[in-house]
Amino acid sequence: MATSTMHPGAHRTGRRRLAGVLAAAALLVAACGGDDDNDSSSATTAGGGSTETTAAVTETTAGGGESTETTAAPTGGDARDLVIARDMDINSLDPARAYCDTCQIYLTAVYETLITLDPADLTKQVPRLAESWEANADNTQFTFKLNPKATFADGSPVESKDVKWSWERLANVLGSAAYLMDGYTGIETPDAQTVVVSFKAPNSAFLPIVSAGMMGITNSDVAIEEAKSVAEVGADASDTSEQYYFEHSLGSGPYQLESYTEGDALVLARNDNYWGDNKPVFPSVTIKQVKDAASQLQQLQAGDVDIAMQLSIDSLSQAEGDSNLSISTVDSYNFVYIALSSGAQAGAGAKELSDPKVREAIKYAIDYQGMLDVTVAGKGKLQASPIPNGFDGSADLPLPAQDLDKAKALMEEAGLADGFTLDAIYPKVNVYGVDFDVMMQKVQQDLKALNIEVNLQPNEFPQWLDTIKATGIPLTAVYFAPDHTDTSQYPGYFGMIEGTPWSKRAGGGAAGTPNINPAEAPLLAEALAASGDAKIAAYTKLGQEMMNDLIFFPMVNPQLVLASQADITGMHYSGCCNLDLALLGVK
Amino acid sequence: MKRYILGRLAVVPFLLIGIVTVAFCISRLIPADPLTSIVSERQMGNEEVVKAAEARWGLDKSLPQQYVLYVKNLFKGDLGTSFRTKQPVTSDLGERIPATLELAIAAMIFGGAGGVALGALAASRQNKPTDHVSRVFSLLGSSLPVFWTGLALLFVFYARLSWLPGPGRLPARTDPPEHITGLYTVDALLHGQWSLFWQALYHLILPAFVLGWAVMGTVSRLVRASMLDELHADYVRTARSKGLRRGAVMRGHVLRNAMLPVLTILGFSFATLLTGAVLTETIFEWNGVGAYAVAATRTLDYPAINGVCLFGGTVFLLANLVTDVLYAFADPKIRLS
Repeated sequence: MATSTMHPGAHRTGRRRLAGVLAAAALLVAACGGDDDNDSSSATTAGGGSTETTAAVTETTAGGGESTETTAAPTGGDARDLVIARDMDINSLDPARAYCDTCQIYLTAVYETLITLDPADLTKQVPRLAESWEANADNTQFTFKLNPKATFADGSPVESKDVKWSWERLANVLGSAAYLMDGYTGIETPDAQTVVVSFKAPNSAFLPIVSAGMMGITNSDVAIEEAKSVAEVGADASDTSEQYYFEHSLGSGPYQLESYTEGDALVLARNDNYWGDNKPVFPSVTIKQVKDAASQLQQLQAGDVDIAMQLSIDSLSQAEGDSNLSISTVDSYNFVYIALSSGAQAGAGAKELSDPKVREAIKYAIDYQGMLDVTVAGKGKLQASPIPNGFDGSADLPLPAQDLDKAKALMEEAGLADGFTLDAIYPKVNVYGVDFDVMMQKVQQDLKALNIEVNLQPNEFPQWLDTIKATGIPLTAVYFAPDHTDTSQYPGYFGMIEGTPWSKRAGGGAAGTPNINPAEAPLLAEALAASGDAKIAAYTKLGQEMMNDLIFFPMVNPQLVLASQADITGMHYSGCCNLDLALLGVK
Repeated sequence: MKRYILGRLAVVPFLLIGIVTVAFCISRLIPADPLTSIVSERQMGNEEVVKAAEARWGLDKSLPQQYVLYVKNLFKGDLGTSFRTKQPVTSDLGERIPATLELAIAAMIFGGAGGVALGALAASRQNKPTDHVSRVFSLLGSSLPVFWTGLALLFVFYARLSWLPGPGRLPARTDPPEHITGLYTVDALLHGQWSLFWQALYHLILPAFVLGWAVMGTVSRLVRASMLDELHADYVRTARSKGLRRGAVMRGHVLRNAMLPVLTILGFSFATLLTGAVLTETIFEWNGVGAYAVAATRTLDYPAINGVCLFGGTVFLLANLVTDVLYAFADPKIRLS
């Protein structure tokens, strides 16, 4: 979107810069005169400097992580172009292959889903492309009635054949999100507005899954004719249309793809034919690649961007007091955890970890509250099980607490009072504001109390993945953000259930055998067949079972920083969609 | 000379095949999983998804098969498709080379021209305050790590003083000029977009200074040392005794003779800037080859790694050749054969 429009923040600094450029140029020339010593010393001071401000950081404690501000419709009429700073992780813009945090934002804005979540209530689904829907009694069949007014950006109607084609393609392309369609036996389209999806087993997770951005609907006629996309079985080999979607979008959402340059920017343009009630406010939305949190904050403060999406908790103090900004923190569903694998075939400590008493001792040796303080300055929550706070099944589980006496007694019972050496191989990353090096150093320090010598081995992510796939790792650290808002994804990943990633990684003792907890698969089946309180009760029991496995110890459920220019409205964090651009506006 | 150049150019393809072979082997020897950028970590346990990805990206073939296929495609001008960006590597590089080139040229203008001027100034004022100041400045340029200089200057001139723009090639709300060369300054000029030209130039100042300062430090110290050697030569004394003015001797004789070793440094500096501006590009969100190389390496994006190696190899081979040719022009005593 070509524009020279400057936003108030840009004016704020623009004049100073224009004046300053002359001085800067003079300084560069004058550098020949040798004033650079002063440059370097002042920069040293500046590098550690911070503004002394006491401003109001509003802390929104949305239990479910949703900001209440989002219920308001976007405002602002024909606003300026919106610029968002974000470290993008886009793996694809093809709706059947896209699977990343930034993809959630993109897909939600461009490819609408049949239903979505009420921004103010995580558990409440509200219409989007579908005006009504129902599940049969045992949650094996779901019927959706499409809104006849719904149209794609090219004006053609959204029909049931598009839904069938999009979901079948998602399943058959075998991308990372294909699992969302696991277990479906068929999609019927009795008429242009009706879609009936059947599953071989009860699947109460399907409605929350339908609200995930990756379930967005594509204009199938155009996709087949122009992109030559394939949805049939075998599409994993025969579909070669991915590159088409890097230049075109075929959705019905409030925004359309304008351009994407990897490493630079993702530009969306307003869909002027948008059929829904909440018309998009911004002529264009640019998500600009800005890698680190400090740079995002600098650009936000300079007025170069309207929203900074990944500010760290550390940076809050520097942003506080800036009346041009709106800063808040909200609870998130993200968490980081450590995992113990007694089935690891390499690395020190796996043998000792096969004794549940040792794993339990480690659980009690961790100083969880200290971990919160060290990693996110207390801006987060403790979490009981791999089911994050706010999801069904998380509420009634006991939070972890340090008990060193109990930990030492357990080590003595296990005959390991003198401790042992434990290899910790983990990806060297900083996720959700948590620096894994810092977190693992804290683990190392805490386990010294049990005479356990933790040998820290940070790896690049691909190397870590190769190691954990090949041999397993005795002690590692990982992170998790939800794909959708149903709890089933957690036992589906962390559960000691046949076929889950962690049942293989954790190992069952003998080489190559999975670790299976026989209680978990039936509980998951029970939850998927149930609704309401029965479903919550089943997930609570499942959460307790996953705690009993003594494999995963969540360390931190960090808060997220929402940071924008003060005149931006509708800032929020969504469990299904990360940030729904359609809800943003300007005062 | 023509024969020499053609001979050197004829060897280039063989050297490039060697570079590609080494890059291919090294990247495959790294104990890491290239599927990281193709399949999400959560789906790595899903054999169906993993097999589909391996088949689609040719990772199910044996290493010799992959190598033969790669070299075959290379001869057709196909560098493969990046695992990470899902775009042809040729198109990825095509987008990024102009960004790097623009930055490298700006840094060379600043570092090369500034370094020669500073070195000459220092030599002509040996052991005077100007000399000391310029030597300290050069030393800082050569010794301060670019990531520190970049971050510090951004903090001071962008975040605190707001005198210079932040990271990126243009303001976030400004569209680039229509593509002709991919060099924003040049394209803006070609389209007559003066405002855009100034903005692009404005955004070049900090990264070019950071990169160029390191070059300037090396060049100025070399020029100073070479000129001081020349200043004590007999021909200088003779020229001065015959009544030639000091400035004329410095420009016409001393500097010219002192430039020979500097040419080598300039040639290699330019090649290094084109291939190695990794940290500067990362800090300044400059979407060039350096930033691309870092991302490719971190995700074990084989086609992109090989593409970058091929680009880097070509640049260094050409830089070598150009330096040799320039030598012949600069010094009539040198004959290339």
